[in-house]
Formats: sequence, C-alpha cells, structure tokens
Amino acid sequence: MADRKIKVIIAKPGLDGHDRGAKVVARALVEAGMEVVYLGLQQTPESIVRAAVEEDADVIGLSILSGAHMTNFRRVRELMLSSGLGDRLLTGGGIIPTKDQEKLQEMGVGKVFGPGDDLQEIVEYIRANARRVPG
Amino acid sequence: MGNRTKTAWAEKYEAGGVRDADFTSISGRPLEPLYTWEDLAGSDPETRLGWPGEYPYTRGVHPSMYRGKLWTMRQFAGMGTPDQTNERYRFLLEKGQTGLSVAFDNPTLYGRDSDHALAAGEVGKTGVAVDTLADMERLFAGIPLDRVSTSMTINAPAAWIFAMFLANAEKRGIGFDKLRGTLQNDILKEYIAQKEWIFPPEPHLRLITDLMAFCAEKVPQWNTISISGYHIREAGSTAAQELAFTLADGFCYVEHALAAGLDIEDFAPRLSFFFNSHLDFFEEIAKMRAARRIWARAMRDKYKAKNPRSWLCRFHVQTAGCSLTAQQPEINIVRTALEALAGVLGGCQSLHTNSMDEALALPSEKAVEIALRTQQIIAFESGAANVIDPLGGSYYIEKLTNDLEEEAERYFRKIDELGGVVKAIEQGFFQREITRAAYEYEMALSRRKKFHVGVNEFANLGQKLEIPLLEIDESTERDQVAALLRTKAERDNGAVRESLAALKTAAAAGRNLMPPLLECARRYATLGEISDALTAVFGSYREQPFF
Amino acid sequence: MTFIPQVFWEDFFKGGRLACARLITAVENEPEALPEILDRIIPGQKGGLRIGVTGPPGVGKSTVTAALARRAVRAGHSVGILAVDPTSPFSGGAFLGDRVRMQDLSDDHQVFIRSMASRDGHGGLSPATPYAADILDAFGLDRIFIETVGVGQAELDVLDCSDLVVLVLQPGTGDVIQALKAGIIEAADIFLVNKSDLQGTETLLDSLRFLMDISPVRKGRPFPPVVEASALLDKGMDAASAEVERLIQDCVGSGRYREKRRSRLEREIRSAIQRELWDGYSALAGAGESIRAVAEALIEKGGSPYPYIHEACSRIRIQLVDERDSRGK
Ligand SMILES: Nc1nc2c(ncn2[C@@H]2O[C@H](COP(=O)(O)OP(=O)(O)OP(=O)(O)O)[C@@H](O)[C@H]2O)c(=O)[nH]1
Ligand SMILES: [Mg+2]
Repeated sequence: MADRKIKVIIAKPGLDGHDRGAKVVARALVEAGMEVVYLGLQQTPESIVRAAVEEDADVIGLSILSGAHMTNFRRVRELMLSSGLGDRLLTGGGIIPTKDQEKLQEMGVGKVFGPGDDLQEIVEYIRANARRVPG
Repeated sequence: MGNRTKTAWAEKYEAGGVRDADFTSISGRPLEPLYTWEDLAGSDPETRLGWPGEYPYTRGVHPSMYRGKLWTMRQFAGMGTPDQTNERYRFLLEKGQTGLSVAFDNPTLYGRDSDHALAAGEVGKTGVAVDTLADMERLFAGIPLDRVSTSMTINAPAAWIFAMFLANAEKRGIGFDKLRGTLQNDILKEYIAQKEWIFPPEPHLRLITDLMAFCAEKVPQWNTISISGYHIREAGSTAAQELAFTLADGFCYVEHALAAGLDIEDFAPRLSFFFNSHLDFFEEIAKMRAARRIWARAMRDKYKAKNPRSWLCRFHVQTAGCSLTAQQPEINIVRTALEALAGVLGGCQSLHTNSMDEALALPSEKAVEIALRTQQIIAFESGAANVIDPLGGSYYIEKLTNDLEEEAERYFRKIDELGGVVKAIEQGFFQREITRAAYEYEMALSRRKKFHVGVNEFANLGQKLEIPLLEIDESTERDQVAALLRTKAERDNGAVRESLAALKTAAAAGRNLMPPLLECARRYATLGEISDALTAVFGSYREQPFF
Repeated sequence: MTFIPQVFWEDFFKGGRLACARLITAVENEPEALPEILDRIIPGQKGGLRIGVTGPPGVGKSTVTAALARRAVRAGHSVGILAVDPTSPFSGGAFLGDRVRMQDLSDDHQVFIRSMASRDGHGGLSPATPYAADILDAFGLDRIFIETVGVGQAELDVLDCSDLVVLVLQPGTGDVIQALKAGIIEAADIFLVNKSDLQGTETLLDSLRFLMDISPVRKGRPFPPVVEASALLDKGMDAASAEVERLIQDCVGSGRYREKRRSRLEREIRSAIQRELWDGYSALAGAGESIRAVAEALIEKGGSPYPYIHEACSRIRIQLVDERDSRGK
C-alpha cells in the first residue's frame, strides 16, 4: 500500500518517570511520518497490549530505565502472543546490559536501544522491521 | 592594550580561516571566538562579584572556601535490599567517603510497597527498597547517624520516609538535634521533569511546609529540601533552563512557606540546591556562579531576609548521567572528571561523581571506587582547591555568568506571566521547553553538529564490552516482599490502623502532618499504607504529557 | 485485506477485538476493501448512537469524552471511542495523544478506544472515521464517541457523521465563539462549558447567553442547552451526561435519528458513485497530465475551461454508450 502508515505504541511500563527518551523517540517517529500512540507513564503490560490490539499497532516500543526490563518485556511479549500480535515488532530502549539484550532477543524481542544510540538509526530500524502480515 | 578594539582584531581572525564546526555551547548558546574587557563593560566587579563569603556570593559562599573545608564527597548509593545497601555504605565510608547518600528504588520513590502490582521487576533495581521502619533499621545498622551526614534522594513520600528515619534514630537513642543531612523533598521538579509524584501539587507543597516547620523546631541541622536542577537537566533542558527553573522552584517554596506563616530566617538557611554538571565546562561553572548571585539578591531584596545565612545558595553537584555512553564505557571516567572539576570550580559544597558503567547498569564496586578517586585527585593532586574561585575575572566566565543570569531573569518573567510555577506546570510550560531542548540536542547529535566520542565520532565498531557489571538478583524482590510480609505479620495491626486513621484526620484538618507520620512510622505502618491513607484525603494526580 | 476470509468475519461478529481493530486499519488504508466491508457490516449494524465531541484545541475534549464514556458504561452501555488527532502536514506523521486522557477506561472491556490520524481529512476527522464508526456499530457498541481534532474553526464533518454533537468550550475561548462559523453553533446539540474550575467561566456563560438572545431560532429547534462542568475534577459531569442521554432519547423519539441515518446513507451512495465514476473514467477526462496542461494553457492564453470540460464529458458519454452496446451483443 502506497500510503500505509506505520503505527507505533510508545509506553513506559511500571514506576519509572524518566520519559526523556520515550518523548524524543516519539517525536522523531512522528517526524519520520509514522503514527505514534503515546501511552505515557505507569503502564502495565496488560494496558499496553490492550492498546496495541485496539490500535492494531505494527510496533510496540517500551522505554525502561528502571531495571525491570526482563520482567516487562517478557510479559508484554507473552500477552502479544496470546492476543494474536505475534507478528508485530516489540522493541524499546533504556539502560539494558548486553547480556540481557541477548536474552530478550531469544524471547522474540527485537533490537533494544541504549543511551547514545542515534535517533536516525532507531527510526530506520523501526521502518525496516515494522511487521505486518497482509490480512 | 591601548585603544585597540575587538573589531580590529576580528578582521585578522576572519582572515585566518575558521574550521567548519559548530561553535555553540552544549545548550546551543552562540559563542564569540574571544571575550575581552569590552564584553564586561558596565559590569561593576565590586557589586557583581564581591568577595568570597560576601554578598552577592558570586565567588563562593564561604570566605575560605576549600582552604577552610573541602567539599563533601558524597556518592549516591543504594541497591537491592537494605542489608545489601548497608554493606555498600560501610565499604564507601571505609574508602574515605565523608557522607552518605541514599538512592531508593522506583517503588519507594512512588510511595509504593514492594508487593504493589506496578512494582513487579523494579524492587531494589535502581536503589534500595524501603517499606517500613524495619528496613530503615537494617539500612543504617552500625552506622553512626550522629556523626555522618545522610542525604536521601526522596521526594513524593519524603515526609514519611523521613519519619521512618527519625523513628529509627529515636529507637537508637540519638537525639534529633544531632542528626545532619538532607532530604531532596523537591516535588516541583518532579512535575517538571522526573514525574514521580503521588498527589496534586498543592498537598505536596503543604507537606513540604509541614516538614520545614517541624525541622526548624526539632531537627535544626537538617536541610529540609534540596531544590534540584539535576533532573531538569537530565530530562534534556539547557543550562539556562536548569538554572532558571530550579531557582523559580526555590522562590515558589519560599512563597509557600511564607504564606504558611513561617519566618524566613527560620527556614531559609536550611534550603539547599542540587545542580547538574554537564560537559560544557565553562557554561557549567558560570551557571553555578550565577545561581548564587541570583538567589542572594532575591532573598535579600525581594523576600527581605536579613540574616546573611538566608541568602546563601549552597549546593550539591552531580556529574551528568545523561552525558555517559554505553559505548566505550571507560572513557566516561574522563567525562566525569571534567564535569567534576567544573563542579569544584563552580564552588559546590558536595559532589557526586558518576561511575563509568551507569549507562549500562547500577555501578559496580570497582567503578564506584574510581569515581570517588576522581574527586580525590581533584582535591589532593590537581591544585584546584588551593585558590578560591580561580576562574573569577575571566572575561569569558564573567560574561557567561552575566548572560545566564539575564536569561534566567527572562524565564522568571515568563513564569510570572503564566501565574507562577504551579500554574506553569499545569499548562505544561516547563515540560514543553525541556522536551524541545532535548529533541534539538538529539537531532544535533544525529546530524553530527554535536559529538559524542565513541558514539557518533571515533566509534570502535564491533567492540565488545569488557567491564564487569553489577547484577541485582531476581531473588531480591522475593526477599524484600517476604520481609515486608513478616513485618506486617509481627506488628500490632490495630495500632497501625489507629495511627493511619489519626493521620487522615490530621490531613483533613490541616494540622502539621509530621507528628502523626512519625507515629505511623513507629508502629511499622508501610510506605504504601501511608500513601494510600493520604491519597484518600488529597486525591491522586495523573500524568499530563506535554510535547 | 481484500477478500476477507469467512473465519475473520466470524471472529469479528463473535467480538474479536483484534479483528475489529484490523477492519478499522483496512478502511484507513485500503479504499478498495471498502465495498466488501460495508456489505458485511451495514446489515450487521445494531443502531449504536454516535456522539461527536468537538471544540477548540486543548479545551478538554478527551477528558470530557472519557468522563461521558465512563458514565455510559456505568449505565450498562458498551462504548466505542474514536479519537482523531491531526496529521502533520509536513511529515505525514501524527502524534496520537488522546488515549492518555482515557487511562481509567483502559481496563474496561465494555470500551474500545481507537486513535486515528486525520490524514487527508480536513474537517476534523479522517476520511475513514465514518466507516470506523460503522464498524464499531456492527461490532455491537451502542454508544460511539467521536472526538474530532481540536478545531479553531467549526468543522462540519463531525455533524455529518454523528447523531448528536457536543461542543466543548472553556473559559477564555469567548473569542473563539465569534470565530466559529455560524454552522457549528447551529448544529451543536449541547454546549459543554468545561474547566469551570477556572476563572472566566461566568464571562463565557454570559457570551453564550448573549448569543442565545440574538440567534434566530434554529430550524424549529430551541437553542442548545448549556452545561457547566469540570471534567478534570469530575464535577458537573453527571448532569452533562444526563443531558446527553436525554438528547439521545429525544433524537431517537423525534425521528431525527432515522433522518440522520438516512442522510448518511444517501451521502455514502452519492460519494461512492462519484468515486466509482471518477476511478473508472478519469483517464478519459485526462486526469493528471492533460488537465494540468489545459490549466497551464488557460493561464498562458486566457479563456474559459468549459470547452475542455464539455469535450471530456462527451468522451465519457461515448465510452458509456459503447460499453452498453458491447454488453447488448
Ligand atoms: N482545569 C481544568 N483542566 C482541564 C479540565 N479538563 C481538561 N483539562 C486539562 O486540559 C488539558 C487538555 O485536555 P484534553 O482532554 O487533552 O483536551 P483536548 O481538547 O482533547 O485536546 P486536543 O485533543 O489536543 O485538542 C489537559 O491538561 C487536561 O488535564 C477541567 O475541567 N479543568
Ligand atoms: Mg484530545
């Protein structure tokens, strides 16, 4: 589809108020022509996936600087699978050690970004990997 | 120098050829290639600078500065359970640290217990978990609270965390008048930048005023608030925004305390500040000097404080967490060293240096030790502590100090127009300014107008990480929740209910909440129970995302 | 999504939320799927009521919508919300922020919230919004709230696709009333003065009263009721919700609801035919290149466009006759 816009959910799960990254990335994605549903702070995995279902989102992006990345990514991924969103991209960013990044990838999470990563690179990654199986 | 002017020189400068580079500061401030006495025309050193320890304190808050007493080397630390953190404190004191600084985990910062649904996966991760007095007892076990000063980075539930701290001192027989330390307790910057609140602004402001009144009488050596620009900067603000928004918050607290009938000379000397020290060396130093001058003038002239102690802008500095990179983490040591030196040359009273691994995880012991050693090198080897305000009189520094002051004044006027700090928060003014600045900086990095060595310039492709990281075991959460349940089972639940009911009554009646909070703490009420009791009276507050 | 498999429809009619969401995506992105989708859902519609919520930017439309939706759920309704935010004319992207104000609804399975970017829509909605409302209706939701883009000017699209229009205003927007085209004042069914916790509420109420005095009676209907509320503090929203519900009953009882549905279908038929004709025959009309060249030439040399228009139309007529003849054989 010529005019198929990529739809992205940006959320911060749990109790972590550091939303600089989430906001900067949300803005960069909008400027790159994507449609960004911003859920903001204090989201649960349930509320995030529910929004992703209703929005039929192509991508879920989580921003986690609280150290709770393993718990949250795992739970969101499980809920995505049980809600029929297994073909959508789950990605994100935060303070996430390389070792954990590898474990996340094994769970089916896409690339996760960290401090210092280039905005343009994030945009390109999402553009290239936003998945959607034609209905 | 005769009568040559800058214009005459500038011709030669242009003719010499200039690199194709971005010469603005990290905040995007346009800079001249050279500053001279002409840039300071009309700026009288006697009134603008004065003398160290004298109004307007541009050159420092003490007459002797670091010749009299070095800054306090205070490393912010906390992780896992109270027992684990207690061990780290003993390690740091042994290595020569001179004050403690408690980092709490996210659930604690939000006033939630470790078994709250939103806390899953976060317990003990970015700080220590404290649910009840029992945790406070473990956290400070064996640490002489009457001899080290303790700083606690806690805001929304600051009053009841402090109540637990006091209840612990009481149990150990340490008089409140012996306690020294600082509570961050700065809720305004939470709405502006860090987003960790419980209630709407007004009840939080009332709790702060209650605490100031209580401490003025009972805990006289305690700094009741640390008005923080640090988080504003971390959220992406410019240096001028950090300066202006922080001081504006300070004015707002002063006005609230005055409106509550407190005497300015009672509380103003206990106000302290907390700034970020970022990478742009000179701009940071100027920012700190400008802060002292602006604060002194406002306290003396606008708020009519008579006691010079009420005019002082004393501050803690932390190097910029947001300047650290996950790539080539070792070079973060160098960034931190430069930032720390700026903090010292800016005249800080205490300093935290970040560890090289903080863009990756909580700091390991090794990394923390290097960070502390960095401060010790500045203090004992570099000579930076030998002379007071060594950069005073530099054309560039003085001009930057003047410019930052003017920029801050412009922001103060804007905030006034919006109806003050709380109204400006409600309208998203600060949040929008900061988000815009953060975005512009990221774009400048992305377009390679600004640089991060090892990231968008001089990157080592494919380099593997070679430093060991600290890991918080998954068992931490289980242990902490188990401890919480144990405490709940062992305490007198009837007494807890009673104290919580009394707290609600006092909250509704508008009485000072410190005494009933202290009573709740003594009876081992949990952090979350207290938050819920107060929320029932004060209501909760929802995020207002502004872009 | 063209040729939607039967299992998909079964899932949708059994209440599959993802199926519903995917249909909305299809009407947003694949106009060619529209006939198939409408064929299935129009017969399946259950008569859900559509409540448009419009007003200037930032007056609290999302907060008001959430407060009304909460009450509708409490009264036993199932609720759909379509929240439209503007597409950036520069990047084509959109920031969809309305959901944040609807957090407390997001655990409720009686509620389905969908954010939509306005895309090519200029009237405060996206071109797909009316179809999305049809889908939510067929999905079995009986109160469908449609929040428009924050509009300074009155946007009339929302009138076309709603049974009832709530115009949200806030203190300090008195001037906006002057700027609003007469149309919206005419067409709003209720004025909701939000943020009545702020100063200036009285002034706004005064100017509404003034407007009421000078306005000619609207085609046989009284001036819309004015309610005062603070959606943020959840004050006055019970009364506002009751008023909306009363107007809904009135709308159904008076036959206006039927009227609205009829004119919606009428418009749909008309525009679908226009679309079909244009898609089928625009090449003959010289879509794109020739029309552009003609326009260029007219600017260059002057003259009326009508000779070209007549010529293009007769080309199409001849084609239509040929098609009929060849079918006749
Ligand atoms: N004081 C006050 N503020 C309110 C009230 N209702 C909403 N707000 C605030 O107004 C701001 C905008 O609210 P929204 O509900 O997003 O407004 P909107 O009209 O949907 O905004 P757009 O969709 O961006 O045009 C938010 O900060 C709300 O918290 C109210 O009754 N009183
Ligand atoms: Mg809205």
